[in-house]
Amino acid sequence: MSACDNPNVEKDALMQRRQKFDGKTKICVRCKENTGNVVIRYSVYCKSCFFPLVQTRFRKSLEPSINPVPDGPRKKALKAAGSLVIGLSGGTSSTAMLDLVAKSYFAPKAESDGKLKGGKDHPRNSDKGVWKGKAGVCYVEVCGAFPGERDRTDEIRSVVGSYSNPNFEFIPLRLEDSFDSNWWKEVGGDLSSSAAALGLDMTDEDLRLVNSSPELAPLQALRTYLTSLPTQTAFYSVIQTLIRLLLLHTSASRHASHLLLGTSLTSLSVNLISGIAQGSGYQVPEEAKEEWRPRPDRGMPVRVIRPLRDVGMKECAIWDWWCNLKIVGEPRSLYGGGKNSIGALTRDFIFGLESDYPATVSTVARTCAKLVPKEGSDGICALCERPAQQGVQAWKARISIRSYQEARSSVSGNTRPPHLTEEEIVNLTKASLEAEPTPDSPISLTPLLCYACHTSLTSRSSRGTAALLANGQALNQVPLPLWVRSTADAAISAHVHEKEISVTRTIKMSRDEMEKEISAFLLPEE
Amino acid sequence: MAPRSCALCQKAKAMLKRPKTGQQICRDCFFYVFETEVHNTITEAQLFNPGDRVAIGASGGKDSTVLAYVMKTLNERYQYGLELFLLSIDEGITGYRDDSLETVKRNQEQYNMPLKILSYDELYGWTMDAIVSQVGRKNNCTFCGVFRRQALDRGAAMLNVDHIVTGHNADDIAETVLMNIMRGDIARLGRCTSICTQGEDTIRRSKPFKYAYEKEIVMYAYFKKLDYFSTECIYSPDAYRGHARAFLKDLEAARPSAIIDIIHSGEAFEIKEEVKATQKVQQTCQRCGYMSSNPLCKACTLLEGLERGMANSGITDRARKKLDAGGPAPDNIRTIPFFSRMNSGGNPAIAVEQPS
Amino acid sequence: MSKVSLKIEFGGGLELLFDNQRSYRIDVPSEVPIDNSTDEESLSTKEKKPVDVKYLIHHMRDHMLKERVELFMEKDTVRPGILVLINDTDWELEGEGDYKLKSGDEIVFISTLHGG
Repeated sequence: MSACDNPNVEKDALMQRRQKFDGKTKICVRCKENTGNVVIRYSVYCKSCFFPLVQTRFRKSLEPSINPVPDGPRKKALKAAGSLVIGLSGGTSSTAMLDLVAKSYFAPKAESDGKLKGGKDHPRNSDKGVWKGKAGVCYVEVCGAFPGERDRTDEIRSVVGSYSNPNFEFIPLRLEDSFDSNWWKEVGGDLSSSAAALGLDMTDEDLRLVNSSPELAPLQALRTYLTSLPTQTAFYSVIQTLIRLLLLHTSASRHASHLLLGTSLTSLSVNLISGIAQGSGYQVPEEAKEEWRPRPDRGMPVRVIRPLRDVGMKECAIWDWWCNLKIVGEPRSLYGGGKNSIGALTRDFIFGLESDYPATVSTVARTCAKLVPKEGSDGICALCERPAQQGVQAWKARISIRSYQEARSSVSGNTRPPHLTEEEIVNLTKASLEAEPTPDSPISLTPLLCYACHTSLTSRSSRGTAALLANGQALNQVPLPLWVRSTADAAISAHVHEKEISVTRTIKMSRDEMEKEISAFLLPEE
Repeated sequence: MAPRSCALCQKAKAMLKRPKTGQQICRDCFFYVFETEVHNTITEAQLFNPGDRVAIGASGGKDSTVLAYVMKTLNERYQYGLELFLLSIDEGITGYRDDSLETVKRNQEQYNMPLKILSYDELYGWTMDAIVSQVGRKNNCTFCGVFRRQALDRGAAMLNVDHIVTGHNADDIAETVLMNIMRGDIARLGRCTSICTQGEDTIRRSKPFKYAYEKEIVMYAYFKKLDYFSTECIYSPDAYRGHARAFLKDLEAARPSAIIDIIHSGEAFEIKEEVKATQKVQQTCQRCGYMSSNPLCKACTLLEGLERGMANSGITDRARKKLDAGGPAPDNIRTIPFFSRMNSGGNPAIAVEQPS
Repeated sequence: MSKVSLKIEFGGGLELLFDNQRSYRIDVPSEVPIDNSTDEESLSTKEKKPVDVKYLIHHMRDHMLKERVELFMEKDTVRPGILVLINDTDWELEGEGDYKLKSGDEIVFISTLHGG
């Protein structure tokens, strides 16, 4: 359709390009005295007003979620249920976040800059004891996914070490830990021998689980897993998922009540649009804020908070610059590569749009904050451990017919394809019917996945797969991250178990019925 | 390399790679699955009842041309029992609609469907050419969009149909989901993925091509040798929507399922109850009886602005206030005839051109 | 030809594109071609304007950038996502590319593309 055939066109007129700054006044809108230094969403701020502005937004996004139960009208002291873990990538916003956390909650009173305290100079705010135990800073080294990239762990360690008060505990992880049974045991994961051997057959869209997966070193397992993915989009989104779950499981093992991620407003908008474009609309609320429980249940839920979700990337970068913070930076392959991935395309699109329409980024986040998933959850996705929607496979089969067997209800008789004979269509629907998994054949991972993860593993690009597998790596025995193996194994045994139960139930039912039938002939018990 | 056989029937030679699934299939299977998916969309949403009178919004472009053909095919194959009509709106854009209306008239003969053409001039007393000469090219899409929507409903009432189907395809819907998120239009975001919408007093409106890829519609028309008129509106500005469309094309190139994935996302969420509560309730326009969220509907507001020489009054709040400050609407301005819905079942309200 | 002396600094990882050096002191001509071409011949023959930030960006691309021009420039200006500070002030307050450079100015380029 031409643009104009769309009835929704009328609002276009309102999306006029607006000048970022009208040039009328350069005076700070906050103190109304100083000459401004920076433009933030059309408003001008001076350098000394900039710091409290950012810090206030940071605290407003974080503090209402610190106490286990939200405060009523009377504000209580901040007291978290567990410890704190901060995710640090070395990029612009997580570096700013670490600095803000240190200055807001851990800085001893004498050393802290009065300006940074905002108006709330109450002793409780500088009280060391908001979180229990020692705060951990967790870094996930991703160079394993990008051969040739340097390892940045030591550089990040020195950034964390530059904060002497508080003395953060540095927790270095690696992307390949997701495939390392030592790490999995350390974080309290459970792995039976049947689970350990589970792998995935990625040769077709059926995603069958195989239980003869070869034992690979973690790094090799990671690379096999990543190279088996059908698109660049999947490659980058799977890496994000691995990082998130490494951080979550680590947090749970430290009895953390809060995991803080340095997602800025800009990145949040990018993640929201990119997630929606990858089919994860059901999980939109989780992008901004989520509460996650380790499976099988062990301990308290971890709240994932993004305290910079109302602070733009620009403000983060300026915070870093003016506070003289070192940006280690993420590997270029992670942000510069993958030009054809939905994540990178979205980022370039949003950044480009932001320079012409600065309101877009906050509008996206504000709009998505008004959304909730529709009813009907099918539990938790085995891969990303976020809520999964019901009926996804039926939906997919209806929208895109991939075989006549799938569509057999509407292809038979007079409504069959006109170029096929009745016999041919009967054979086509029957032939594929026989290929369906029987009770003895391997079980599929598909029913354990959310729409977006299933799409990641199965949706292909016209450009072919992300990379070629190295010799000796078989596409039909792809290793899975350990939490997926654990969940899938539990599902398989539950499946087997359920069958046994249903068998016994049947017997019971028929006994009941028998009793009913013969009840007239039974003598009452005395 | 030997020619591949079709992934679906495994009999014929594969002739095309399906944009939606990437499967290599034959031409006949492509026609068949394309049609069957539309059928699935129709039956899953229970769009029609036997005996329904259905108007196909026909512009002469590819979407509505293919829609008319597919609706006719499915109506016969699955015995929907529908009475089909073609309904065209003539915006009065010289050199744009003139030619595409010829296509619609040909379709009328080919498909043996009655056709009704309703013009802006007839309904509002203004052609788009006249509107553009007053408001310029900047906001003319606002007028055209609002006027077309109401014109379709009024044309459908004249045909006394129960239902209008339009050719909006999956690309249009995916683009609209993205647009509504980016400009914060929460009300539209909530309803843009619904297949069927119905105002209190208006005719049901639905999009049977909701899951059909634009590329596949073009492919279908090409292989079926359907003729359609392809042109861009000469007044259409390349604004914000242009960015969104280009972005969507990039996403589709990266991963073809992106279009359907965005629609899936749009269907998976809804607006929070507390936000819904703050939205305006529907009422009927005091002046013309059409559904509206204000005492005066958008079309009447725009028309009053045009008539009083203050064309922007329907577009910005500030201009609207200026219009109100100018006193009540004079009696001598042109207004839209009062809208009343016929009882269904009777004879068509007006005589329609029968195919010759 | 008279010169303007500037201090250029990089932040947010942008230095990686500039030989991994965070700070430079450079001289640019005070009068430069209107079309921002930076070669010797254009400098002597073409019509001139006073040197501005737009010219500086072209100069940096032609004479200082070591790799990946697309990560620094797009459509005649810096790529979206790169911040520019002129004497510690957002360039949006100083007229962006049209700011006229003077000796002693400190220009900072900060990448925000490093994300999280």
